[in-house]
Amino acid sequence: MPRGGLIATGLVGLALILLPPLSGFHPYYLYLVSTGLLFGTLATSWNILAYAGQVSFGHAAFVGLGGYGAALASLHGLSPWAAIALGGGLGAAGAVIIGLASGRLQGASLALATLAYAEMWRAIAQNWDEVTGGGAGLIGIPALPTLPWPSPDVSGGRAGGYYLSLALLASVLAVFAGILRSRLGLALAAIREEEERAGLLGVHPLPWKLLAFGLSGFWSALAGGLYVHTVRVVEPDLVFSLHFSILPLVMATFGGVGTLLGPAGAALGLYLASELFLHPYVPAFHQLPYALALIVVALYAPGGLGTLFRRRRHGAA
Amino acid sequence: MSPTTLAHAIVAGVLLGCFYALMALGFSMIRSVTRALNLTHGDLIILGGYLGYWLWIGSGLHPLFLVPVAAAALLPLALGWQWLFQRLREPKELSSLVLTFGLSLFLQNGMLALWPGEYRLIASEALTASVSLGGLTLNRGRLLVAGLALAAVGSLHVALGHSRWGRAVRATSVDREAAALLGINVDQATQSTFLLAFALSGGVGVLFATLHYLSPSGGAELTLLAIVLTIWSGAGHARSVLGAGILLGVVETLTLLWSGPRWRELIVALMLLGTLLARAGGLVPRRSR
Amino acid sequence: MALLEARGLSMAFGGLQALRGVDIAIEARQVVGLLGPNGSGKTTLFNILSGLLRPTTGEARFDGARLTTLPPWEISRLGIGRTFQIARPFAHSTVWDNVLVGVTFRARRGPRAALERRREVERLLATVGLLDKARATAGELSLGERKRLELAMALSTRPTLLLLDELASGLSPRGREEVMGFYGQLRGEGLTIFAIEHSARVLSRVADRLLVLDQGTVVADGRPEQVLASTRLVEAYLGEDDEP
Repeated sequence: MPRGGLIATGLVGLALILLPPLSGFHPYYLYLVSTGLLFGTLATSWNILAYAGQVSFGHAAFVGLGGYGAALASLHGLSPWAAIALGGGLGAAGAVIIGLASGRLQGASLALATLAYAEMWRAIAQNWDEVTGGGAGLIGIPALPTLPWPSPDVSGGRAGGYYLSLALLASVLAVFAGILRSRLGLALAAIREEEERAGLLGVHPLPWKLLAFGLSGFWSALAGGLYVHTVRVVEPDLVFSLHFSILPLVMATFGGVGTLLGPAGAALGLYLASELFLHPYVPAFHQLPYALALIVVALYAPGGLGTLFRRRRHGAA
Repeated sequence: MSPTTLAHAIVAGVLLGCFYALMALGFSMIRSVTRALNLTHGDLIILGGYLGYWLWIGSGLHPLFLVPVAAAALLPLALGWQWLFQRLREPKELSSLVLTFGLSLFLQNGMLALWPGEYRLIASEALTASVSLGGLTLNRGRLLVAGLALAAVGSLHVALGHSRWGRAVRATSVDREAAALLGINVDQATQSTFLLAFALSGGVGVLFATLHYLSPSGGAELTLLAIVLTIWSGAGHARSVLGAGILLGVVETLTLLWSGPRWRELIVALMLLGTLLARAGGLVPRRSR
Repeated sequence: MALLEARGLSMAFGGLQALRGVDIAIEARQVVGLLGPNGSGKTTLFNILSGLLRPTTGEARFDGARLTTLPPWEISRLGIGRTFQIARPFAHSTVWDNVLVGVTFRARRGPRAALERRREVERLLATVGLLDKARATAGELSLGERKRLELAMALSTRPTLLLLDELASGLSPRGREEVMGFYGQLRGEGLTIFAIEHSARVLSRVADRLLVLDQGTVVADGRPEQVLASTRLVEAYLGEDDEP
């Protein structure tokens, strides 16, 4: 990363760390920015997979598995931390399973398979009443331990969740930065650009792709687990919602697929713009920014989807 | 399971299948003419359903009269969608998925804002009566819908096979550039396909609303079904869509008979997953090397 | 025993019979040229030998190991490298990374040390004269540079057998001379080479032996001067030799 970028990142990071005291620990704003940070985590996880050329339309599956896994574990008496980690593991496993389909499907077919996969998990959560509580979902999920500082009365207990979300985003960014500089990054880029050629150079594509699916699913599921411990309920239409599949795609492509900070930045920007400026005034259309960002990306942006799809343009002779 | 139950399920499956075929036609037509996959397909049907419901509450007319109204109401959207689809970049299938995935979010939110709250159904008494046929008791509405579906698929089959317009549409589907070189007005063929597909979706929506409860997010399942049918029917001829629809209807009804109705959505999702895996490349035909 | 041995290789694509019972044996350190008109099955043969295609019938062995059931990455680890007639680099990666992929993944336990890998990429790029383009994006290279990158990528897995698909075609006379130089250099390093070239002249200058494919069958096999003198080759091939 160039020096200027490093300084800018540092400043943004510092501002985010200082935001709670600066905003006077206003619970609503803390909740809003925390959710924005969770979307940042989700968009970055999505981007890990996109870096390998795999377009997912089903990240809701991983968020939902993480959410339900963490909620159930918590309700059965596990500490929230262990529960969230367990949910992460469940999400990673779920991602690896659909990742196996990438050995056979690619591009639009794989995208549709991931979409169907998320629908499948939603249908299971919706109807497996004995375990998931069916359409009504599960309530009474314990809250995360509150930070002793400042007193919970000031922040409504939101400060802790806020810093956790920030730490989660920082961790997934660190992982992606590590990937970009590692053998994994080299293999994933090769698979994205020319999978067949990568094979001829000794790269067995499937295990690397599964690793990308696993990492992406793990962090998405952690975000899901943290989210259900913040809102303290879980329902099929809440965590397996199409939103958790569409928004990371929109945010990552708008922010620039394959860039380290673009997806997270776009996630925060789009989410906050939508919630702060549109939701209070035109609630019905507060999701307009996403739709517009998407149309812009799909039709015009050279650096957005172009980076994802380039493999094809230079593809087979 | 008694033979009567089985026979009943098969007949119900065939009727359902006719409706599925009609429902999927628009998706299949747009795909074959533009190669684009329209994930808003189901949302458009639901939108047609809501329009029909809204008109039915307001006017009290027989739902059948509302079919053409809802069909016409979607025509402006057809032009908008076509404008967007024309600007899609390669690879078209994936770009179109991304674009329409976002539009779907937009449509669903719009419908949620306009018709919030409880689920809606066009519960017209004209359609709920039972009819006895050869020892089987059938719902009149379902029979009527199946009949309409057969008529629509039949006329489309004839129109595609035996008219100037049909020839232009077929040629555009096979090879757009070659068709243009042969002097076929491909833009006109594309536009008429969009208009027809959207009108079909709007009309189907009203029929759907007489059979099932509407909900703003209910379109996803219809889209998935349309994709399954499109893959099954291969080349996308109206006739093969009908065949695939009936097969799907019967398979679904029999599976539900065995598993119980609550696993319906799961079965639809599994059917799409299975279809994609079994026919890898069936969605996007591979170019020969 | 021959280093590469193929018996009865046949390949059908639908109704099209691309290869019909091809037998080949190549000794270690031989340079063998493969000639034949367009559509005679040359590239199909390479695709089978490198694991991109599985033959309809027949089998191939390399160094005693059966190739025809192995995936490309296993074949590459056995020591077979190849180039493509139309270059297929990782177009949006740097030239450096294009070569680094093979250096890193050619073995389950490739060179651990980053420095070791770096030295090797440098050496390979220097061999093909692309060191000054190391930071360029592969997609931006000229045709000649792409051909040289192809060669560096093929060499990056340290093959003992190189399959070269028209390395010289489409190049200027000077570029072709350069490629001739590469052939000589690689032979000097003890590599076994199986090379398709469009031009019989180019091949006869570098090859110990020529094979001619026509309609999926080997129609001639022998020393270059014998093969070029054979009448069957003239029928099958020379009519198409458009590069003077």
